[in-house]
Amino acid sequence: MSADVSDLSLVRRVQRGDKGAFDALVLKYQHKLVKLVMRYVRNPAEAEDIAQEAFIKAYRALPQFRGDSAFYTWLYRIAINTAKNAVVSRDRSPIEYDLDRHHSDESYDMQGRMKDSETPEGLVLTDEIRTTVNAAIDALPEDLRTAIVLRELEGLSYEEIAAAMDCPVGTVRSRIFRAREAIDRRLREVFEGGLGRAEELG
Amino acid sequence: MNEELDSQLSAMFDDELPPAECELLARRLSRDEQLKARWGRYAVVGAVIRAERGVRLNAPLAGRISAVLLAEPSLESLAGAALRRPSVRWWQPLAAGGLAASVAAVSILWLRTQAPGLSAPVSAQLAPAASMRSGAVLPASAAGSAQVDSYVVPPTPQIVPVVVPSTELANYVVAHSMFSSPVARRNLLSAFMTSEPAATPPEEAPSDAKKAAR
Repeated sequence: MSADVSDLSLVRRVQRGDKGAFDALVLKYQHKLVKLVMRYVRNPAEAEDIAQEAFIKAYRALPQFRGDSAFYTWLYRIAINTAKNAVVSRDRSPIEYDLDRHHSDESYDMQGRMKDSETPEGLVLTDEIRTTVNAAIDALPEDLRTAIVLRELEGLSYEEIAAAMDCPVGTVRSRIFRAREAIDRRLREVFEGGLGRAEELG
Repeated sequence: MNEELDSQLSAMFDDELPPAECELLARRLSRDEQLKARWGRYAVVGAVIRAERGVRLNAPLAGRISAVLLAEPSLESLAGAALRRPSVRWWQPLAAGGLAASVAAVSILWLRTQAPGLSAPVSAQLAPAASMRSGAVLPASAAGSAQVDSYVVPPTPQIVPVVVPSTELANYVVAHSMFSSPVARRNLLSAFMTSEPAATPPEEAPSDAKKAAR
């Protein structure tokens, strides 16, 4: 299977004017991109802002993207450059720098964490998502858990997982899908419950 | 939700769906909000497994980006503009260069017609100066042959040395130096006298020498 086929088909749709296809690319890569930008900035809210800027730059530059490299590789480079520029421009702003330095490291980190989740409800929801997904993975049958972990954590292709688990590629595809479905079922319950609680608190 | 469709979505998320199926599913994914939400949750599952920080199920970042992009022009129009732009770009420098060259050519022609002195080649203008520096007058034939083919390297004119007797030259200088200072005139005259060739001394020179010795 050629790599990046699904991304490329979404990219081609965006290039033809379908903005909805870009939403799918954002949903797929937003977490990876925020994690990447977090290497350059400590504040998660700032990392999200930079990731947002990188996505928008990527969208505007998509007419020039010809698919010579994988979409994520291209997006990765845009995000790195955006993060570096943001760090440079922030360091050149002495007032902002001084204000930041007036806080102790602890209060700065706490501020970052608060911005990360924006609201206390959001923080609870995020923790609950993490707990739920981890619990759902633990509850999976061994073959499903191995398949999804090899795919998501190790980044192996279906063919490589099939070789590792000594089973056909079709079985790997089915196992990964069933693992996702089981986790997603639990996740939807939390999502709906979390949103309901957040609305009550609000 | 159709299980086969979800299975395809899972495979597409992993880049493991055949291209033809990918095209169809990408089209559906971009329009079906329920399918898009499931796709987003698949991303959340992966992020949690990889222990990525800041994972949020409601994905405010995606919502923010989507809101910003609503105000953006469609890429179809941007792509059209980008495709048109290069065809405009390639001939612009050529046109600018051609225009500059034609303006320069017209300017040169106009200057040549307006200023007759400039119509002569540079070397031809330099020739009199060269002859003045050499202290001799060019013969008419030599001046006539000062035609040059190049503006860059003027040919060296054939200078015919003309020997002017120093006495004649001294008389000429004395006759024309009535306005010069006495000291300068004396220096000039003494210089002429000392530069007189020793091989052809004038006849009255020995008597002058004897007088001086006496």
